[in-house]
Amino acid sequence: MTKSIQHTLFFPHTPEVVWEYLTTAELLAQWLMPNDFQPIVGCDFQFRSKPKEELGFDGISYCKVLEIVPPKRLSYSWKAGPGNGQITLDSIVVWTLTAKDNGTELSLVHSGFKEIENFAIYQGMSAGWPIHVKKIGELINAAKHGSTIA
Amino acid sequence: MPQNMAQPSLDEFQAIADPSRRQILRLLSKERLTINSLAENFDMSRPAVSKHIKILEYTGFISIEDIGRERYCTLKQDGFNKLQDWIGFFDTFWKDKLKKLESLLNNKTTKK
Repeated sequence: MTKSIQHTLFFPHTPEVVWEYLTTAELLAQWLMPNDFQPIVGCDFQFRSKPKEELGFDGISYCKVLEIVPPKRLSYSWKAGPGNGQITLDSIVVWTLTAKDNGTELSLVHSGFKEIENFAIYQGMSAGWPIHVKKIGELINAAKHGSTIA
Repeated sequence: MPQNMAQPSLDEFQAIADPSRRQILRLLSKERLTINSLAENFDMSRPAVSKHIKILEYTGFISIEDIGRERYCTLKQDGFNKLQDWIGFFDTFWKDKLKKLESLLNNKTTKK
């Protein structure tokens, strides 16, 4: 089970230039989503997108700036849910910028999918699934033929 | 959250947000069990356990089968699959968005 999302990109621009695109509301809106981001630690902001009903997502991402180290590191919490203040997604986005080869290496880690991490204990279960199902089938058959199941 | 327990509008995440329901799933991951034998593992009343089981059934984590006079609970894959959906969603989401960022930045003339 995947527990985080990671991407690394290279841009032929200085970290300062890339940083602008991560921390200016207007520039963020150009590639990410409409937002009211402010580069201040502790600041709440939102991203707005289309709702995804099948996910239980009303399209509003509730974020809070956790860390700002220009032009090196930016992180914010990212919460979302079906609406009415219900939160079913509780995660963290971390951006890291590293000056490299006359450009910038940008890395994104989206992790801390809380419930999913808590739930990773069931990981092993998926692997054992076919065996499990087979066993159930056998038990049901046995029951149908009148044997008792303890 | 216990107040909302009876509402079938709970989603997969809320279903597993409750420690008792996690415990039920953990017990069922070893073997299928009757509602009665599951209830023996908890201090709460049988109706309370039944309520949790109904939520797990509704959200696709377990199925219930009547065999003779007993009701057997078995784990089901559906609920578990749904949990991966958020991550799957964001995986595609970030790929798309980062592509946009890339083209934005690549079309930009490098500042001197």
